[in-house]
Amino acid sequence: MRRLGLWLGCWLSGLPVVAAEPANIDPRKLPAATPGTIDFARDIEPIFAKNCYSCHGPEKQRGGVRLDDAAAALKGGNSGTIIVPGKAAASRLLIVVAGLDRDLVMPPKEKMPLTAAEVGRLRAWIEQGAKWPRQAGGTTSAAKSAHWAFQPIRRVEPTVVKRQGWIRNDIDRFILARLESEKIAPSAEADRVTLIRRLSLDLLGLPPTPAEVDVFVRDSRPDAYGRLVERLLSAPHYGERWARHWLDLARYADSDGYEQDRPRPYHWRYRDWVIQAINRDLPFDQFTIEQLAGDLLPNATLAQKTATGFHRNTLTNREGGTDKEQFRVEACVDRVNTTAKVWLGLTLGCAQCHDHKYDPFSQREYYQFFAFFNPDNEVDVPAPLPGDAAARAAFDKRKAALERKLTDYQETQLGPTLAMFVRGLEAEDRKKLPDKIAKLLGKGDKLNAKERQLVFDYLGKDDKTYKQLSKALADHVKKPPTPAYVPTLAANGGRKTHVLIRGDFLRPGVAAAPGVPAVLPPLKSRGQPGRLDLARWVVSTENPLTARVITNWVWHHYFGRGLVATLEDFGAQGERPSHPELLDHLASQFMQCGWSLKRLHRYIVTSATYRQSSRVRPELAGRDPMNILLARQNRIRFEAEILRDNALAVSGLLVGKVGGPSVKPPQPAGISELTYANAARWVESKGEDRYRRGMYTWFQRTSPHPLLTMFDAPDANLSCVRRDRTNTPLQALTLLNDATFVECAQALAKRIMTDKTGSVSERLDHGFRLCVGRHPSAAEQEQLQTMYDEVLALAQANPKEAARLAGAASPANVPVAEGAAWVTVARMLMNLDEFVTRE
Amino acid sequence: MHSAIQQIHQSRRDFLATMANGIGGLAVASLLRDDGVLAQEATRDPANPLAPRRPHFAPKAKACICIYLEGAPSQIDLFDPKPRLNALHGQPLPESLWRNVRFAFTQPATARILGCPRVFHKHGQCGMDLSDLLPNLATCADDICWIRSMHTEAFNHHPGQLFMNTGLPTFGRPTMGAWLNYGLGSESRSLPGYVVLTAGRGTSGGASNWSSGFLPSHYAGVLFRNQGEPVLNLNNPAGLSGEMQRRTIETIGNLNRLRHQEIGDPEINSRIAAYELAFRMQAAAPELIDLSGETRQTLDMYGIDRPEPSGGGRGGGAGVFRQFATNCLLARRLVERGVRFVNLYHASWDHHSNLTPELTFNCQMADQPVAALLKDLKRRGLLDSTLVLWLSEFGRTPLGENRGGNPNATGRDHHPFAFTIWMAGGGVNAGHIHGASDELGWGIARDPVHINDFHATLLHLFGLDHLRLTYRYQGRDFRLTDVAGRVVRGLMA
Repeated sequence: MRRLGLWLGCWLSGLPVVAAEPANIDPRKLPAATPGTIDFARDIEPIFAKNCYSCHGPEKQRGGVRLDDAAAALKGGNSGTIIVPGKAAASRLLIVVAGLDRDLVMPPKEKMPLTAAEVGRLRAWIEQGAKWPRQAGGTTSAAKSAHWAFQPIRRVEPTVVKRQGWIRNDIDRFILARLESEKIAPSAEADRVTLIRRLSLDLLGLPPTPAEVDVFVRDSRPDAYGRLVERLLSAPHYGERWARHWLDLARYADSDGYEQDRPRPYHWRYRDWVIQAINRDLPFDQFTIEQLAGDLLPNATLAQKTATGFHRNTLTNREGGTDKEQFRVEACVDRVNTTAKVWLGLTLGCAQCHDHKYDPFSQREYYQFFAFFNPDNEVDVPAPLPGDAAARAAFDKRKAALERKLTDYQETQLGPTLAMFVRGLEAEDRKKLPDKIAKLLGKGDKLNAKERQLVFDYLGKDDKTYKQLSKALADHVKKPPTPAYVPTLAANGGRKTHVLIRGDFLRPGVAAAPGVPAVLPPLKSRGQPGRLDLARWVVSTENPLTARVITNWVWHHYFGRGLVATLEDFGAQGERPSHPELLDHLASQFMQCGWSLKRLHRYIVTSATYRQSSRVRPELAGRDPMNILLARQNRIRFEAEILRDNALAVSGLLVGKVGGPSVKPPQPAGISELTYANAARWVESKGEDRYRRGMYTWFQRTSPHPLLTMFDAPDANLSCVRRDRTNTPLQALTLLNDATFVECAQALAKRIMTDKTGSVSERLDHGFRLCVGRHPSAAEQEQLQTMYDEVLALAQANPKEAARLAGAASPANVPVAEGAAWVTVARMLMNLDEFVTRE
Repeated sequence: MHSAIQQIHQSRRDFLATMANGIGGLAVASLLRDDGVLAQEATRDPANPLAPRRPHFAPKAKACICIYLEGAPSQIDLFDPKPRLNALHGQPLPESLWRNVRFAFTQPATARILGCPRVFHKHGQCGMDLSDLLPNLATCADDICWIRSMHTEAFNHHPGQLFMNTGLPTFGRPTMGAWLNYGLGSESRSLPGYVVLTAGRGTSGGASNWSSGFLPSHYAGVLFRNQGEPVLNLNNPAGLSGEMQRRTIETIGNLNRLRHQEIGDPEINSRIAAYELAFRMQAAAPELIDLSGETRQTLDMYGIDRPEPSGGGRGGGAGVFRQFATNCLLARRLVERGVRFVNLYHASWDHHSNLTPELTFNCQMADQPVAALLKDLKRRGLLDSTLVLWLSEFGRTPLGENRGGNPNATGRDHHPFAFTIWMAGGGVNAGHIHGASDELGWGIARDPVHINDFHATLLHLFGLDHLRLTYRYQGRDFRLTDVAGRVVRGLMA
């Protein structure tokens, strides 16, 4: 993780702002060379074998150094050569084993240092030419790992279970087999109201209307559930729901980040590409290739280049005085780390500065992976939007009109003067003119347009009207409509990649050619592989990680937890899968079914496992407190965007328009002022754009909308595969008092009063249903009624305040106190735990 | 919470607490992980993750007030006099010093040393040299532990601020305040454990300066606002009375309890607790910012109503004197009410030019209230348990800045190699001057303190071992001090 290296104890040698210069190393302090002729096998190899081979031998090559092989040893490590035959002082090997460089001492401090006699022998050996009598016998052992995630995905047949009647598809066989082995019965299916609300929220992120609930509850056809699933999967909001999940991985935002945090006016086009790709069920392998290397596909379309905007969501630092190369490298580092995290579930980023501590990735392999991205340049491809042509035409039209006005004025008002000047100006007068003008006038009528203009400008320099007209034209021309573009990548073949010592971009080590970690299946390509080859390798069926990682990620959205709980780490430090066979089953099915996400979703949500009740079972609290075995569903609090979407939906305010530029719904004053020099002023959107879904809210990295951050939306600085779900008093205050939610409460109150004109209890029932889908129980109805009566009395006692609370949303024929009471009740309903929870 | 679940959490907590030390700890943790059982924060009560927790050993400090001067004040003009600079004014710097060094704006080959116009005097028994811009702070010299040998690895603002706040110059790490709340919980029942106050314009780091990083967001700093309501959404909607609010909170609680009876999810109890705390906060936060109970003497000591000089340049806009002074007083009130970490921000110390007038303005703003805060804490017996910090992301260079080759330098560029910060109260070695920069203020001559060392020491003052305060994320146990840091004994009493 560490760019800047370890603490080095001294400002002189340690600071990375000081370029690599082995300071303070005095080779004169080397122990004297042992006299006599050195024999490698007798004098040197035992030293290496005892002290070095465990990290620099056939198994491991820490820092890229290998000492059991002459060719490899003479080639050196990540930092360059380590042995210079004949030159002891220039041989880094000798310096570090002699302890002369306090930055790096070998062997590492937990081992015994070499004796002066041993160093003396090494010195003599190097001075005598570092002769290696024979090549090391063995070749480097192929990187192997017994770790489960690096093994091929297996197709496992589910074991036979007893409770056959419970099974709806093969997922259930795996889940049930484990439950039966633990002698636990699965939970009953949730009731239909819960099921339709669960499905609507999981697939669309929106609640079902009471009418939709009624239809589903009454639908007695055997395939009613399947029909519901199909309806939801084909709704355009499905693409929005799952695109937003993906955008967390893509660290999507509408601004640059860092101090200046400038706006990114067209990154939403990547976001819209994701929505559309998911809605048309673009197979996930293609979905991947287009995002990692769409620009490199043969005859790449604009849409494919737009997809590659995935890796343009990295931050850009425009702070004054920054080193451009530093932040170019940082963006590239983020591309590497994000790719590894999102598709491979690997913490490859740990190997940026040193070999990975837990997983079999060397630092050199990190930079081989880095080499796929390092040659890229960031480019913006012109990509007109529908309005652009009209804007351009309007601009041109106005320009032409201004030009005409100016020309007319020139010809009518200044023309005669010009003619006079040309015809005959006394030599005396001519001398008073600037040389350039005099010379032009000398050409008589042969002036070209540009020259004529120069002369007119001179003649009109004191003419107020002329000046006004030219200024109007000049000002207009300065502000042409900016053509829309999409941000993407383009390969630049010229940039070479080196290992960066300790991750510091100022300390290039040995060259690194593009390649994938040796522990994973090889990447096959003709010639040097590029980013497109990498993309294809990521989704090759031999890759043991991608399908597992993605199906696990999808699974976690349905159960609140992955089969591998550490979604971001499938390495040795991650958790093992709770149901390894099921994970492989899902992964292989996914690939076999053409990487179709819709089929995967359908498969999961139609399982009996998914359809279980989420009621906590006290008898299992001791055995499976975290519900890893899935003897029930889990309750999941909504994400930030979905919370607001639901409040807007139940109150009838939601505008369901899909896609388009990001919008700025109201936010509290004083938020955008937090940005540097108040750079990102929040200009509220008007009209329907105030009520769009949360995923369209403009995301300003240094001052995100507080509704988003309050409810754990990621900050978009790094890829986020798993959101927190905190539960804080500030969230309570937000739901209770934020202007957006208060407006929703007023609208919901109005809706309740307008929809139902009968008794209070009927209206209470309706409001409750709108919010949580089900009817209130008798006990709940009693609570609602009591509260309504009490707040009505309070409102009646203070009509002036009641009028403020009821707001303009209150229907005309309703007394203000009633309106205020309904707003209070509606607000309370939208603060219920159940309202913010998918059950 | 359901009693059975509570028992589980309790027994897990006890179990892990017993096993956490000693040899068994690691093995047990990996055992649980292998079973897929160990969740993040499994040892915490989900209904109250901020419940107070015991430190590793007896602490000196219980609360921290961190005054952050964003932009980086010039240590050369405030804390670290370099008379030699005046002698060398206008001379180039020896090439050995600037070769291979990167600057933000300065062109070192043609840059010239910039002397310092300030007058320095020694103060207190410790004999700390302070410039004439800090007359009030000078009277506290013996309460402060001065560090003249800080250095950092970042030399642009935002990365530098991340480094000072999180121990690394990259995104995604928790800040000091988040770590302290994670490690110790909050003592306040009605206020957040980590409060941020700002005066003037925004910082370049924005909210990332008080982020919880990979820690759950309840450990993040809560920005109190200096206009309108002190906490976002604290006030009820227009027309909704306190009594209506009480009835609302009650009904939410009752309905949530009914749901809990039905579905049994302990998370519902957390929500009930959160709403009750929110309700208490609605009363506590206005009380906090209501200064009517403070004496005139106290208000004057902080300089709340001081006249503000006009034309403050980039100092943060009109009213910044009052804002900053009020924040200092609020910091004391927050600490009195059990808040663990109070972060005061003032941005505008980035003096690439006009150093003298602008630094003068800023010091006039900060000197009196900061000194008042130290004295006020001391007379109330709070200074011993309250650590007060004066921080910036780096210092400023002894060279005049000649951006674009401009020879008439009136300011200084960023300088990461040697700068000054200070700590007071909370068990620090008061009246101690730690470390020294070299003759020119360029590098460190003695006892360098890295940010990771500073953080290790800070945690130590709070009774936390920086090696043991960890959080497992992406398969690794992360620390505030990353892979480095050592406790600097000389900084502690």
